[in-house]
Amino acid sequence: MREAEAGDAPRFLDRLRAGETAAFEELVITYQHRVFGVAVRMLGNAAEAQEVAQEAFLRAHRGLAEFRGDAKLSTWLYAITSRLCLNRLATAERRHHRQGEEALVRLAGGERPDAAAERGELEAALHRAIAELPEERRIVVVLRDLEGLAYEEIAEVLDLELGTVRSRLHRARADLKDKLERFLP
Amino acid sequence: MTCHDTRESLSAFLDEALAPEERREVAAHLESCADCRRELARLEQTVALLRRVEPARAPVGFVDRVTEAARPRPWYRRAAGAIFVPFAVKLPAEATALVMVALLAVYVFERTPVLQESARQEPPALETMHEKVAGPARVEPSPPRSAESPAIARKREQDRRDTGGTAPGLAPPAPASPKPDAAPAPPLPTPRSETTPAPSAPAPPAPAGARVGGELAKEAESRRAENRQPPTESSADAARGAAPASRLAAKRAAPGDVVAGITVRDRDAAERDLSDLVARVGGRETGRRREEEATVVEAIVPQARYAEFTQGLARLGAWRVEAERPDLPAQVRVILRLQ
Repeated sequence: MREAEAGDAPRFLDRLRAGETAAFEELVITYQHRVFGVAVRMLGNAAEAQEVAQEAFLRAHRGLAEFRGDAKLSTWLYAITSRLCLNRLATAERRHHRQGEEALVRLAGGERPDAAAERGELEAALHRAIAELPEERRIVVVLRDLEGLAYEEIAEVLDLELGTVRSRLHRARADLKDKLERFLP
Repeated sequence: MTCHDTRESLSAFLDEALAPEERREVAAHLESCADCRRELARLEQTVALLRRVEPARAPVGFVDRVTEAARPRPWYRRAAGAIFVPFAVKLPAEATALVMVALLAVYVFERTPVLQESARQEPPALETMHEKVAGPARVEPSPPRSAESPAIARKREQDRRDTGGTAPGLAPPAPASPKPDAAPAPPLPTPRSETTPAPSAPAPPAPAGARVGGELAKEAESRRAENRQPPTESSADAARGAAPASRLAAKRAAPGDVVAGITVRDRDAAERDLSDLVARVGGRETGRRREEEATVVEAIVPQARYAEFTQGLARLGAWRVEAERPDLPAQVRVILRLQ
């Protein structure tokens, strides 16, 4: 679980709840790439992902005093980020936006498809295949195969039954297998 | 276990997320089914491809931006943000709310007569003062003095004497005509509140305030009498009953813009001078009533020459404004009590 264990140390949580600026900065440093990673793979746009990731940290900052510590900090942050992404994808503005080419923007650097082609057809095809998944399946495959969360943790993040997670993950992988068939050995 | 059931569980099988019993069943099916084994291999290769995706990295400066945004802002910026941000949503909503409040205010104003009265800033006592000064007014519009013949004036004066000067519906005599029976002017200016009886009065008059009150009571009584008029009443009585009603209607239709009192030495001379003054400033008299103690004159004066008119009044005697509208109209209706 990468840096999660360090982030969940009781003393660190106490510092966060006390509103210590340095502790919050440490939290952002620890989880910035994971929070941004989920956002950018869900939204397909680096600028929008940065905005959502920042909002996720700010919401966490405002809610830290009430964070009971029942879940891991990482799970809590993934939950906030996933909810923000799904909400944004559900808005009419976002649906309109996705009709444009922005939906196929390169993930990490916000590059456009032509630039992505230069970095490898396979990588571009992978990102495109993920971006084309239905949102409820995409979030599951991102959390499992790109972020490495366990089924139980995904269920907690998305507030889903374990069976639903399994089912959605299987459908997502089956979709991706069909889309990436030509790249399989 | 069927191929369909097995393939539904292949993803969890790969992740070792199946219960032991289910895992054994899937494994048993895979040993005997080449198609499902091939499917499992394709799925495994797909997952392997996915895990080759490089982890995304937040842009440089992201931490600084987040920590800066999380820093507490001054109270005034928080308040401004709460009121206006997001601009795209809140400004139109606030502008709409403002317009609606304005429309509501106009609606309430138009539906509430009390507010409209207040907005006019009319002195609350103006109407009352007018009624007091005029008393049971017998003032009716009269033609300009120059148009009234001396014969008519004499007839009016005769009628006034016949009815003790209080006959309803009769206009006072023209000021220019001689008045042999005019009451002598008091030796000194008499304030309205003075209780000293006039020398020529046959009986000690009541104090001005009491007298006015008595007149109001008489008028109220006459109003009650009007209401009690039986349909079989004689035509003369009916005429007497109708006259106060018309006077009332006239008063309500045209209340005075200015009500003033003038204390003069010679009332007859002052009446003549006042008529000249009104004519000089381009105005016209609309009514006159002569009583024992005072003469009430109604006139309309152009607002443009109202200042000149008031200067002329000051030359007639000691005058005082008892009520005046703050915003005088183009034609100022003046009610003057000469005493």
